[in-house]
Amino acid sequence: MAPPGEDVYAKISTEAATDFVQSFYPALQSNRAVIASFYSTPPSTILFNGNSVADGNAVQDIFVNQMPPAHYEVQSVDCQIINKQYPTATTGRPLDPRKDISILVIVSGFVRYGESRDLPQRGFSETFVLVPNPSSEPKGKRKRDWLVQTQNFRLVV
Amino acid sequence: MMKRGRGSRGRASAGRGNASDRGGIRKRGAPTRVDRDGDLAMGAGAGAIRGQKTRGGSDRHPPSGPRTQSIDRTIGAIQKALSTSTPQANIRQGGRSAGLEQVSVTGWKQSKAASNRDGGVESLVTFLEKKLTSSDSKPGARARISKSRVEGDALIASIRPEFLERMLQLSGFSFAGAPLTIEKHDQSTATMLNHAMPTQNGTTPSTADTKSKMTTILGRRYYQQSKLLDLSKLANDPDLVAMGIFNTSTTETKFFPALMKVWDLNFDNATARREAVESVSLADNQLANIAVVTALSQTFPDLKNLDLSNNNFKDSQALIGWRWKFRKLQFLDLTGNPFSADPTFKDTMLKWYPELRTLNNTQVRTEEEVAAQKKTPIPIQAPHFHDESQIAENFIRAFFTGYDSNRADLLSGFYDNKSTFSLNVNTSAPRALQTEPAAWDPYLKKSRNLLKISHLPPRMSRTYSGVEKIRELWTTLPQTRHPDIATHPEEWLIECYPIPGLPDITRQSSTGVGGFLIMVHGKFEESNAGKVESRSFDRTFILGPGGGMGGIRVINDVLCLRAFGGNEAWQLGPQPVTVPPAAPVAAPAVVPSAPAGYGLPAPGKTDVQVQQEQLVMQLSTNTLMTQQYSEMALSGNGWNLDAALKNFAELKASLLESLSYRSFANKLDRHRGRYLPMLFFQKLPFSPGHGCSSTIFYNLF
Repeated sequence: MAPPGEDVYAKISTEAATDFVQSFYPALQSNRAVIASFYSTPPSTILFNGNSVADGNAVQDIFVNQMPPAHYEVQSVDCQIINKQYPTATTGRPLDPRKDISILVIVSGFVRYGESRDLPQRGFSETFVLVPNPSSEPKGKRKRDWLVQTQNFRLVV
Repeated sequence: MMKRGRGSRGRASAGRGNASDRGGIRKRGAPTRVDRDGDLAMGAGAGAIRGQKTRGGSDRHPPSGPRTQSIDRTIGAIQKALSTSTPQANIRQGGRSAGLEQVSVTGWKQSKAASNRDGGVESLVTFLEKKLTSSDSKPGARARISKSRVEGDALIASIRPEFLERMLQLSGFSFAGAPLTIEKHDQSTATMLNHAMPTQNGTTPSTADTKSKMTTILGRRYYQQSKLLDLSKLANDPDLVAMGIFNTSTTETKFFPALMKVWDLNFDNATARREAVESVSLADNQLANIAVVTALSQTFPDLKNLDLSNNNFKDSQALIGWRWKFRKLQFLDLTGNPFSADPTFKDTMLKWYPELRTLNNTQVRTEEEVAAQKKTPIPIQAPHFHDESQIAENFIRAFFTGYDSNRADLLSGFYDNKSTFSLNVNTSAPRALQTEPAAWDPYLKKSRNLLKISHLPPRMSRTYSGVEKIRELWTTLPQTRHPDIATHPEEWLIECYPIPGLPDITRQSSTGVGGFLIMVHGKFEESNAGKVESRSFDRTFILGPGGGMGGIRVINDVLCLRAFGGNEAWQLGPQPVTVPPAAPVAAPAVVPSAPAGYGLPAPGKTDVQVQQEQLVMQLSTNTLMTQQYSEMALSGNGWNLDAALKNFAELKASLLESLSYRSFANKLDRHRGRYLPMLFFQKLPFSPGHGCSSTIFYNLF
C-alpha cells in the first residue's frame, strides 16, 4: 500500500488540532467533569506555570475543585506532525495507519479568571503533544481520537 | 477642604504660596530639564495675579482677535507637529506619507468601543477596513489602513488614494452605537505647520515663543523632589491668561496636548520622562470630562497619584477615556466632584484601577489586598528545565544567536530534510500596557493560524519542510535581535523536558526515540524602516537525535508571534513571609520534583548549599510542603531542621484550631464580588470533611 500523501497528513493533523482545541478549552470552561478524558495514560509530562501535575485525573481534580470560573479565548493555533509512525499499542482494533501519528499543537490566547468581564485578560501560550487514542472503547462519554501525551501551559502576558 | 495623609498637595500649596520658595523649586527642577529653548524667565506679572481666587468662565478675558488666532495657530502647530511619539519622524513626514491620503475620523470616542483597553482604536480600524473592502472586490484588493494615529478626538488614518472616495462615503456610518464623521485630513496645512517647527534651517519665532512660554510654565509648576506636576487652577495662571489660551475654545482644546508635547520634548528618553513625575494635580479646573486633558495619560502612563478634586465630573462616563490608562495608579482624589456621591463610585474606581489604594483620601485597599490580586489561581513557579548534558541548553544558546546573525549556518547546523518549521501570528494577543503593536505585514502571509487559515492548500503551503524551504522562508523574514540570555535572563522563560516517541531517522527503533521538548517565551527587536519595534514570541522545538551539531536535529520548530507582552507574567512574585497554613498531608496530584542534581554536590555549588538543599528535601519529605516553602521555613529558622519542624507543627495546630470553616468563609466573604473573586472560588484548604487535603495550588493563601 502506498504511504499516505502529504495532503492526507495535513488534513488529518490540522483537523485533529482544531477539533482538540475546540473541545478542550470549552471543557476547561464549562465541562470540567470530562477533562480527564482528554489525557492519555500515562501521560509524559503535564505542567501548569511550572507546576507538575501527575495525570489527567489530577488536572480534572484541580479544575473541578480549585479553579475559579475561567473564560478561555483561543486566538491562534498551529500544529505539525512529529512522528508519522508513532508507536501506538492499540487494544481491540488495528489503527488506521494514516492516524498513527503524533502531533505538536501550539495555542496562543488569553484566559480570564473569575466571572466578571472586567477582570484582566492574561495571555497564555500552551503546547500539547497529541497521540492516537489506543483504545477502541469510548473514554468517558465520547470517543476521542486524540489524547494529550504532554502539555505545558504558561501565562505569558 | 482639609486633605490629610498626602504630601503632594501640601507641598504644592506651600510652593505656590511663596514666591521665593517657588523660585527655589524652579532652580532645582527646571534648569536641568526644561531648558531646550534656553529661556526660563517667568512671564511678566506672573506673581501679581496669582493668589486671587478667580475661577470660572466669567473671569475669562474676551477674545482678542489677531492675537488669539496666532496663539491658536502656534499651539496647533506644536500639537500637530509633535503628535507622534518621535518628533524627528515628523520633520520627515513629507516623504514618509507620500502616495497616501489621510483622513480624520471623529465620533468614535462616543462609541461603546471607547471603553476598550485601547480606547477602541483597534476595533475602529478593523471596522473601517471591513467597510472599505467592498463585497465584490477581489480577495487581494482588501483595503488596508496603512498607518493610523490618534490626535485628540480624531483618528488620523492613512489609506491608498483609491480608497479615499469610499472612505469619505463612510462618514455618518454608525460604529458601535456612535455616528462617525470622516473628513479629508488637510495634509497641506499639516505640512505647512510642520515647517513652522524647528528645523535644521532655523526656528520660527512664534512657535518657539509659545514653546518657551509653556516650558516656563511647566518649570514653574514642576516640583522635582516630590515628582509632582501641579496643573491645578490652570484658568488662573497669569501666564496662560496672558497668552490668551482661554479666550477661545479652540485654543483651550489644543493647549493641553501641546503642553504635554512640550513636556515630552524636554526629555531625551522615555525612561527619564516616566520617572520624572509620579503625581499630577488637575484640581480646580472645572473639567466636566477628560476630553481636553486626555493626553495626560499618554505622557504619564505610570502615574501613581492623581488629584482631580474640585472639578465637575458627573459620572464614570466623564472619565471613560482613562478606563484602561494609569495602570499603576495608587492614589486618586475626586472629592468635590458630583461623581463621588454616586453609589457606584467606589466600586467602579476599584475595578478600573487594580493598584488603587487611596480614593478620596480614604484607604480602599491594603497592600496585602493589592498583592493578593496579582496572584493567579495557578501559582507561577520557576521554569521547569530538565536537560541532559546541557544538550538543550547549548542548542538554545546557539539557536537564538544564530537566528539573529546567521540563519543559513544555523539551518545547516541543526536542521535536516525532514525538519519542519511554521509560524503563526496571534494578531489580537493581550499586550503590555502602553505599547503600540508593530504591524504584522512581514509575517501575515506566512502565518498558519489554523483558526484563520481553514483551507487545506494554504495550510500545506505554509508548512516548511527541509533545510532549503526553511532557508527560503527565513531569508524573507525580518532581521531580529533577541536579548542576550546570559545578561538578560529575566526577558526569557525557557522550559524543557525529555519526550518519548520521536521518529528514529536510523529506522532501527520501532518504539521511537527520545528527545527534548523545548518551549521558549521571550521577545525580540526588529528594525522596520529605521524604527526599532519589539515583539513577543513563543517558540516550541522538538529535538531528536540526528546528524546535526552535537548529534541532534530539529524535528519541529513552531514560532508564534504576538504583540509585545512584557515579561512580568513569569516573574516570581514576592514570596509570602510565613509558612503557609495549608501543608499538604495527602497530595496525590503532586509529583514532587526536585530539580535534577538538587541536594547533590556540583561544580560551583558550595558545601553549605548542598547541605541546605538536603535539609530542604528532608523537611519537604516530612511535612509534604513544597521545596520552596520548605526552604523558607528553614531559612526562617536558621537552617535548623528540628526548629523548622517544630515551627511547622505549631503553625499547623494553631491554624487548624483558629481557622474554622466559618472564619475562613467570613474572610473570603469579605472579599467576594469586590476585587478578589478568585479567592472566593478557591477550595478551602481546611474545609470540613476533607481533612487536610490539599494540592499543588494550596499556596494561594
